[in-house]
Amino acid sequence: MRKVFLGVDVGSVTTKFVLIDGEKKILNSCYLKTSGDPIVAIKHGLRHIHSHFPGDAAIRAVGTTGSARHLAGVVVGADIVKNEITAHAVAAITRVPEVRTVFEIGGQDSKLILIRDGVVEDFAMNTICAAGTGSFLEHQAVRLNVPIEEFGKLAARATQAVRIAGRCTVFAESDMIHKQQLGFGKPEIAKGLSEALVRNFINNLASRKTIEGPVVFQGGVAANQGIVQAFHDFFRGEIEIVVPPEHGVMGAWGAAILALEYASEGTSFQGFNVVERDFQTQSFGCEDCPNSCEIVILKEDGLLKALWGSRCGKWTPEIREKTGTKNYQEPTQYAGKQ
Amino acid sequence: MEVLKATFPHLAHLDIALGFLYPTLGVDIVPPPPISKKTIELGVKLAPQNACFPLKVTLGNFLEGIEQGADTVFMVGGVGPCRFGYYGEIQKVILEDMGHRIKFVLLDHPRYGFRRFLDALRSMTGGRFSFIRAKRAAILAWRILRFTEELEGYLRDLRARTWDPQQLETMVTQSLHRLRQVSSPVALDSLCREVRGEISLLPKDNTRDHLRVGIVGEVYVAQERRINFDVERLLGSLGVRVHNSVSTVEYLLHALPFFKSTEKLEAWRLARPYLNRFIGGEGIDSVGSTVRYAHQGYDGVVHLYPFTCMPEVVAKGIMGEVGRDYDLPLLHLAIDEHAGEAGLVTRVEAFVDVLERRRKFGRKKLGVGG
Repeated sequence: MRKVFLGVDVGSVTTKFVLIDGEKKILNSCYLKTSGDPIVAIKHGLRHIHSHFPGDAAIRAVGTTGSARHLAGVVVGADIVKNEITAHAVAAITRVPEVRTVFEIGGQDSKLILIRDGVVEDFAMNTICAAGTGSFLEHQAVRLNVPIEEFGKLAARATQAVRIAGRCTVFAESDMIHKQQLGFGKPEIAKGLSEALVRNFINNLASRKTIEGPVVFQGGVAANQGIVQAFHDFFRGEIEIVVPPEHGVMGAWGAAILALEYASEGTSFQGFNVVERDFQTQSFGCEDCPNSCEIVILKEDGLLKALWGSRCGKWTPEIREKTGTKNYQEPTQYAGKQ
Repeated sequence: MEVLKATFPHLAHLDIALGFLYPTLGVDIVPPPPISKKTIELGVKLAPQNACFPLKVTLGNFLEGIEQGADTVFMVGGVGPCRFGYYGEIQKVILEDMGHRIKFVLLDHPRYGFRRFLDALRSMTGGRFSFIRAKRAAILAWRILRFTEELEGYLRDLRARTWDPQQLETMVTQSLHRLRQVSSPVALDSLCREVRGEISLLPKDNTRDHLRVGIVGEVYVAQERRINFDVERLLGSLGVRVHNSVSTVEYLLHALPFFKSTEKLEAWRLARPYLNRFIGGEGIDSVGSTVRYAHQGYDGVVHLYPFTCMPEVVAKGIMGEVGRDYDLPLLHLAIDEHAGEAGLVTRVEAFVDVLERRRKFGRKKLGVGG
């Protein structure tokens, strides 16, 4: 049996699955909308991977990442649960070993990762401001009545640049409307917005950091030619920007690689029949101490599967063990692995 | 004379020491309930939006204290380029505007009017008390406060190293609880001895060299775990030994007339090549402590401060220079009521990954130096 490794990246907007072999080569991948329901998205992804699963292979280890990494870790059965910064960096280093900077722009957050000699040296992550992310672009595309897929091509048709002000989506929007009233065409506005997004990304994340090439540009937004061009223009072509073909699934690929690197005896993988199970999330406020934690419970077919949110530790491992759920990841464990 | 029923802001375990001191001074205290979501909501609703987070949380403390029957509020003030000095005044006006008829006692630094300081101090005590008893109580309260910090120190250092962090947490919680019942120096001594003995017997993992991270930042956010998402525990659970350069003991010691905190003076001396003037708040301490952690070979520094905190934002820029010179990774975390736990956890996890990978692949290779 061939050993294969599964990586799952459940983000706020999209969910990605990647299946790799022992040489880190991608065998199969999928890219789906999360649509606000990560469990449904996870099931869809599993179904896709299962239907394209090589006959002579067996899953050896699973890694999850993304903002719903803990949930995905329990549902799929992960051997390693990693933050998205590490996962993206690992994938970028695998794809372009000499990479020195990673730009990752997703739906609701963006990341800048500095890499020196194949090791992450510094990173910045933007989680509260939408001005440098895909949702900014998507929102403005709706206003322009342009499908987001066409946005990049539209920007490429611009004959002149129009500067759209805004370190904030709200100001950018009012300025964009103003520029429309002045009579600028849609291509110029699209180009102006792309440049505004790039400026916002740099201003928010790269202040006082030295950006060196080659830059690997990944995440959903990297599909947008207008943004790639805007980055190119911003650095006056002095910095090489690489958009890998698998730019959309880099996080999931990174999670799969981490699963490969950290794989130990046995796997926690729950099997493909997870798609037939019923998952439910409930929560309650624990008022036993002033922390007033909100405890989130995940149930599988009515049985307790996992608990989150307890600060004092009262609602964690013991309960999981009692119900026979495999202890999917204790943070101290991976800190100790060398 | 009427007995005051006073409430005060929470700061780490300050309430334990004050709970011991005040009854001796002839004041009834009404400690505010521990900081909770409700405390924060109350404070955020009434405080100016642009005020920094500690003002909002302590305002919430006062409101909850008043709800529980307090008629007096004790607050410390200060003068300097940081807005903290003005908190008390603002909070007083807010409480008055709400129609609360309370006595607001603001203790300012003696440097800015010794007479006023003494007056405030007098009104913070019941008026009638034995000086000798008060002095004894103050010394014991001080020792209690120091012991609470010692206990917190064990937690930071040992969480990652003990095989059973839950047992350690329980031990510390119980000790803090017992500390509330202490009434004499003898009782305190025996409690200290007992707890230290118990903790030294905890089985520890000495087989591996744990990552070490130092915490610097603004005095309130860096210490109040109910505000900073308990970042120390998170680091501990990721296998990191933590040291916190911020301490209420040192802060108060330095504020007392005729005393100086040697820790603070040392940090200021170390900060001098980068910053040689007072920029308000704990700005200079943050820079100096970062230099100290670099000298001590720490793997990284976490910088905690309230969002919009001016001294810390200045310090943040300067700390970048320190980080470059010593090749020391820094993680800056700005906290306010909008801060989300998920984003913070992701950043802390990634930071620990960075430190681990640097150790594994060797930081020297990266070219040390500025």
